[in-house]
Amino acid sequence: MTAMRQAKAVYPFGFLDEYAKKEVRRTVLKAIAIPGYQVPYSSREMPMGRGFGTGGLQLTLSLIGSNDTLKVIDQGSDDSVNAVNLRSFIEMTCEGINTTDVTDEADLIQSRHRIPEKPLREDQLIILQVPYPDPLVVVEPSEDKRKVMHGEADYSRLLVKLYEDIVQFDEITISHRYPTRINHHYIIDPSPIPRWDVPKLHQSKALILLGAGREKKIYAVPPYTDAEPLAFDDVPFRVENFIDQHGKRRACDRCGDTTSFLDEFTSSDGNKVYQCSDSDWCREQLQKKGA
Amino acid sequence: MKKIEAIWLPDVQQQVFRALMEVMSRPGKTAHLAELVDDCSALRALLATLIDGEVSLADRDQLLDSSDWPLLQCQQRDVESAAYVVCAGERAPDFEPKLGTLASPEHATTLILKLKSVQAGKQQCTLSGPGINGTQKIAVSGLNRAWLEQRQQWNSAFPLGVDIIVVDDTHVMALPRTTQIEVTSWDM
Repeated sequence: MTAMRQAKAVYPFGFLDEYAKKEVRRTVLKAIAIPGYQVPYSSREMPMGRGFGTGGLQLTLSLIGSNDTLKVIDQGSDDSVNAVNLRSFIEMTCEGINTTDVTDEADLIQSRHRIPEKPLREDQLIILQVPYPDPLVVVEPSEDKRKVMHGEADYSRLLVKLYEDIVQFDEITISHRYPTRINHHYIIDPSPIPRWDVPKLHQSKALILLGAGREKKIYAVPPYTDAEPLAFDDVPFRVENFIDQHGKRRACDRCGDTTSFLDEFTSSDGNKVYQCSDSDWCREQLQKKGA
Repeated sequence: MKKIEAIWLPDVQQQVFRALMEVMSRPGKTAHLAELVDDCSALRALLATLIDGEVSLADRDQLLDSSDWPLLQCQQRDVESAAYVVCAGERAPDFEPKLGTLASPEHATTLILKLKSVQAGKQQCTLSGPGINGTQKIAVSGLNRAWLEQRQQWNSAFPLGVDIIVVDDTHVMALPRTTQIEVTSWDM
């Protein structure tokens, strides 16, 4: 055993230096004050690749204190790779915090691609990891021009894009990252949450923060704020319905719940199996059944 | 050894920030900072939490001690160009703060107004807008009404506008640019 291997690096609480945290904090306040506007910030290097949730991670590290209880989820699950790694990194660098799998017990929730099924409370806060923050990037390559379009709330080209979908497929084909208008002005990319989760942004009791580390943007949906998915009067927004070929709503294979967002698996015998995507929700439904 | 005041410690700043974030996301809600920051004023606590060498600050009414400036490490600027401007709430606005630009509305000034009280008083308003479930009543004292009139003008073209944080000795409350303020009764 060499001295090198025994040496323990000493990091400040939360890994980031205080200047980095202050900058993120100032950015968060601006993001809340201008709902849906992507506030630029100088995203720091983290000891993991950009695109692995560094935006969400920097938010969590700048917000968290030793009396917080944190839940980290990836696609609804506490046990998938991204969640496990981010959680253990935060545990390692934030001494004294608590972590939990139970949505109810957490006051800070960092999430990749899902919002928990259980409605969040006012004393909770969710941080979403964002790969692509700007919904206009599909229609305008220049960021300078996109910033002006956002400022003017000029989203006509985005609407044309949706219209083209309808002409071609009779349906808007966006399955996740559904463009959503916040407080009647800015349109955001709500991160790759499924359509199922988009209505949860509307008049949410909890503050929702979104962090894009690679793209260096932070934005927010404040509590009790209108969030409307883009749609047309005659083609309303709809969420996934999970109806099988007999017209029946599929149930979770594990807990039997018919109200949650389902993941599709292929079992070892080649059949399709459906299970709750939110693992804590599934656990709770099982517990209720047992009781 | 000289004792460091609580407001300069990272763990205290983290808690002050969380209080600030809470009041910013729920306009009209007040946070009590006294227990967090010992005997320091709410104004100094929030400046210590937000300000560093990267931003500029103006202190129109000399509310800060000269000894605070080196610790804040910030650039001292005039009221019309600073990112953060501290003013006494009873003295009317006499300047045009930065409102940001259409492409970068975050380059607007954050105004910090020091009042007699943000908890109680005869200056009463009803707030609505993002962060507020329906409406929220507030009562303050020591605010010159001209601030509200000017604010309305500054915030008339969203996303441009100023975000206001009001403090008294121990409490803090926020009025981001999206908040609609309706005065219900006004007495100085």
